[in-house]
Amino acid sequence: MILSCENLGWETQGKEIVRDISITVNEGEKLGLIGPNGSGKSTFLRMLAGIRKPNMGSVYLDGQSMTQQRQRDIAQRVALVEQHADTADRISVRDAVELGRTPWLSALRGWGSQDDAIVARALTDVDLTGFNHRHWHTLSGGERQRVHIARALAQQPKVLLLDEPTNHLDIRHQLSILHLVTRLPVTAVIALHDLNQAMLCDRICVLQNGQLRAVGTPDEILTGDLLGEVFGVCAHFLTDPADQSRVIRFHTAM
Amino acid sequence: MTAIDRPFYRRSHWHWGLVVPPVLLAALLFGASLGETNIPANVVLQVLANKLFDAGYPVDRIDEGIVWNYRMSRAVVAACCGAGLALSGVILQALLRNALADPYLLGISAGASTGAVAVTVIGLGGGLISLSLGAFTGALMAFGFVALLAHAAGGGAGLRAASVIVLAGIAGSQMFNAITTFLITKSANAEQSRAIMFWLMGNMSGVRWPDVITVVPAAVLGVGVCVWNTRALDAFTFGADSAASLGVSVKRVQLTLIGIAALVTAVMVSVVGAIGFVGLVIPHAMRFMVGHRHGILVPASALAGAVFLIFADVISRVIIPGQVLPIGVVTALVGAPVFALILINGRASG
Repeated sequence: MILSCENLGWETQGKEIVRDISITVNEGEKLGLIGPNGSGKSTFLRMLAGIRKPNMGSVYLDGQSMTQQRQRDIAQRVALVEQHADTADRISVRDAVELGRTPWLSALRGWGSQDDAIVARALTDVDLTGFNHRHWHTLSGGERQRVHIARALAQQPKVLLLDEPTNHLDIRHQLSILHLVTRLPVTAVIALHDLNQAMLCDRICVLQNGQLRAVGTPDEILTGDLLGEVFGVCAHFLTDPADQSRVIRFHTAM
Repeated sequence: MTAIDRPFYRRSHWHWGLVVPPVLLAALLFGASLGETNIPANVVLQVLANKLFDAGYPVDRIDEGIVWNYRMSRAVVAACCGAGLALSGVILQALLRNALADPYLLGISAGASTGAVAVTVIGLGGGLISLSLGAFTGALMAFGFVALLAHAAGGGAGLRAASVIVLAGIAGSQMFNAITTFLITKSANAEQSRAIMFWLMGNMSGVRWPDVITVVPAAVLGVGVCVWNTRALDAFTFGADSAASLGVSVKRVQLTLIGIAALVTAVMVSVVGAIGFVGLVIPHAMRFMVGHRHGILVPASALAGAVFLIFADVISRVIIPGQVLPIGVVTALVGAPVFALILINGRASG
């Protein structure tokens, strides 16, 4: 049990954004997080990352409550890729990815050659070799997203939390990012909008109005009934003749 | 070739140990050598040798007084103020993610002027409190007011917190400026008003060695804290949430760094008045020249701020024969065109 939470809740201005979520993420698994807009996915991920303190319940990392751990110790094990992180600073791709080493560095432990190697590796992993000196403001949305993921990888986390990582990406990079994440030897929680992509996860948990609606394997979760109730759509399941995998098609509900 | 590609850019802190002392010493020497009275360079060096190493050269007492007590003390105070204000600007711009943030954003200059006016015009403290102490108290009170307001408005974290602090600072500044104007209109005579105006634009004319003892610790504190926190400042590149996910305890860093920026600025303002432009523009100019990473931006800004104010002070002393211009006028008049040039060049090469 590497990451878990109990009765997790967060409210702002009297409105409950996340309510009573308890779940255990198993070591090495890729957990998909789906739910309609405003279902609390981002808030939930932030609490799992330890950057938003829950009003109720706790998050446990390596069996210990996150509130008792230093931010720096958490960041050495958990990395978050946010949805809309942007900057007006004129920094290079390399600079942005180097930020990922922050939790491992201190005034006493300066930058070393192994940090250079880790940053180079992270850039290779997201297919951005040769982008070292490109300026942030010259990058496309998809390239920026990959830089963010590289920065998270440079943290060398055991748990990677991704908030809709395939947004803004063209289809090739959507697939390559998903394959990358599913191949990585880390535990990952991935908020996704594309339910066909969610099928690649080991387990899926469904949020609805801030509550945990269901959790289970893709085959258990992605059923016509549940998708109809949660998303208000009609789902049909087809079989891809190429590899016999299931594909979902959607129609607006009657 | 842009700033980012320069070879010295990466993790070359040790360069700064070699660059800063000689440049700073040269600037101080320049500050001590130039002025309305023409004193030959060898006499200047002899005075400095006498004072620093007890060399015992025979020099004119008046020359000695001008070089050591008048020019050198001003140059040292100018260097400290320049470094302190520039670093306060670096801190606020980085943490609030706002390019327009400057050290006076937190209501400090407004509060300082209210304090100064309360002491000089109203006679608060019955003559026991100096203008500097009054200004310092006023600055801290204004900052306290702004901080409480920002806290009460419920900053939370991230961009919202930053904009709440900026808005609270604007409200606080407006209020304290209004109090200052009210007090001046109600009680001050023409001469007092002029003295206050002069002080508000930044006034180095009364500066002597005792002031050095006040500003040096503040500048050292500012530089030390910034150098210690360069990585934390970098981590705010993508905002406060991103900094938190990189392991920075955002609340603690924001509290200590903004608090220290306020304290350093309050000390500087209480000694020399509200010198504008340095804290806002030097950090931006340095970002264009050395890049955004704080490992290099912090020493570069501190050095540039120090050198810039020493030069501005020299210009304020010599530009109008027989008169000293408020240094704030010089910083803006010289600084604005220089900054415009840097902006244009930066755009062209970026």
